[in-house]
Amino acid sequence: MNPKKVLLAEDDMDDQKLFHDFLHHRSDIVLLCAVENGEELLNTLKTVDSEGLPDLIILDQNMPKRNGIQTLQVLKKEERFAEISVVIYSTHTDQQLVNEAIRNGASKVVSKPISKEGYGKMMDDLLKLVGPSSDQ
Amino acid sequence: MMQNKEMKYEDLLRQLEDQTNELRNLQYQLDEANETIEAIRTGQIDALVVHGHEGHKLYTLRSADQSYRVFIEKMTEGAVTLNRQGVIVYSNSQFALLVTMPLSKVIGLPFDNFISPENQDDYRKLLSKSWTVDSKGEANLIAGTERTPVQLSLTTLELEDGLALSVIITDLSYQKAIQEQLKKNNKQLELTNQKLEASNHDLQQFASVASHDLQEPVRKIQIFSRLLKNNENELSTDSQKYLGKIIDSSTRMKKLIIDILNYSRLSANDLSMESIDLNELVKELVEDFELLINEKQAQIIVGLLPRIEANKGQIRQVFQNILSNALKFSATDRPPVINVQARQLARKSFDSVGDQYGPYHLICIQDNGIGFDDAYVNNIFALFERLNSKSKYEGTGIGMAIAKKIIEKHSGLITATAKEGFGAEFKIILPTKQIDI
Repeated sequence: MNPKKVLLAEDDMDDQKLFHDFLHHRSDIVLLCAVENGEELLNTLKTVDSEGLPDLIILDQNMPKRNGIQTLQVLKKEERFAEISVVIYSTHTDQQLVNEAIRNGASKVVSKPISKEGYGKMMDDLLKLVGPSSDQ
Repeated sequence: MMQNKEMKYEDLLRQLEDQTNELRNLQYQLDEANETIEAIRTGQIDALVVHGHEGHKLYTLRSADQSYRVFIEKMTEGAVTLNRQGVIVYSNSQFALLVTMPLSKVIGLPFDNFISPENQDDYRKLLSKSWTVDSKGEANLIAGTERTPVQLSLTTLELEDGLALSVIITDLSYQKAIQEQLKKNNKQLELTNQKLEASNHDLQQFASVASHDLQEPVRKIQIFSRLLKNNENELSTDSQKYLGKIIDSSTRMKKLIIDILNYSRLSANDLSMESIDLNELVKELVEDFELLINEKQAQIIVGLLPRIEANKGQIRQVFQNILSNALKFSATDRPPVINVQARQLARKSFDSVGDQYGPYHLICIQDNGIGFDDAYVNNIFALFERLNSKSKYEGTGIGMAIAKKIIEKHSGLITATAKEGFGAEFKIILPTKQIDI
């Protein structure tokens, strides 16, 4: 069972670290090197080949330059990235954000957890989106 | 020399005395004549005898229609009669007052002398038209150096000498001034309205942005304090206590922010209304509260509730807030009993008589909890007002403010009555149908 490659775009260094600290020990995922904003994410993706592309992208909504949804729109337009599951995550999620994200092709919208257990549960849920491990 | 001068002086004095007497005499005659004229004018006299060159002559007034003459003279509008040439042959004193001229000078003048130059064309058209049909028009009347806006009502008048034109002149200064003031006020109102709308919008933006941005640091406090708690054993007893307070406070802060956000969002004018069955809505809520109801051994009695047109999410929140309060503020010596009943009303008023076909519904939610002092009813519905200490009863103090705002957005009313120690009753009036939304 191949672990899923997960890429986080998050400008808040505390949050990047928490994400890493709480999740890096899991064997069912591989955390790719996190990026700080949408711009950087797109630049990074352009440099990797199809094999290296993530299975799941987690986008913080409030990021400088390109916010989560704006980045999502770019991703969904690029043929090479359109099939990757993208999740918007934010401190505050309201119906408006959920509607807009789903309309733009997000697989899910999640609130940022406030505990280690919360992070674990969030990742369990998100892995269901990318299906059972592919046995390619 | 001296004597001569004194003589002359005495002569002059005598002359002056004579002239003064004559003047007094003339003044007396004038007064008498004026009195006579006034008497005729006001209808006290119908005929008079004048001593002329050919002996006494009796003048009777043609068409001595006394009551009309009095009426015309006394009325507050100006009234003139014009001959075919547009010359004033009769004027009441009010018209003379209007044009600030003695009455005697007014008569004999062409009426258009009093019409302001810019209105001359219109006046001429009006005049020629009014010989065939009764007409009305507006013009500026020349009154000395002033201009007075007036309405002219013209109608033909059959006199013994032939056709004449009667003109009633109504002073419009007052109306015009009022109109002007009204226009000004409207403009002011519009401006104030715009400002209010802008400030409302700003406030909404502010609440929304502030709440979003406040949540990030609060979440950090929550997450890091929880991390600390994981290693609680390394902390002293005091530090553990402080940590607990930090966690509680941040949880409360988070709740407050979300409530403010919800409250500010209520101002948005995009309510979707649908027909909702309140029986179903309350049933769902009772199910949601099942845990708490069981824990408190509460009894919830629900009568037949109506179907109304409303925004489901919002009305659900109102009932949720009231029911949750009823459960929260329960008395310690008795299990909570909550009674929800409804009936139809004729009018949107808590004094309204019942009317089974009325357009409004009164919904009462009564509990037997701790109640509150009736004097604080208004505090309950104000933002952030709490009647009970935070330590005893958790809550942000926004719940009932939200309920009130929602009910008002639905063109309804909400109030509460209570007796401290014996329970509270919330009363809501909601219309069956939402009109002009």
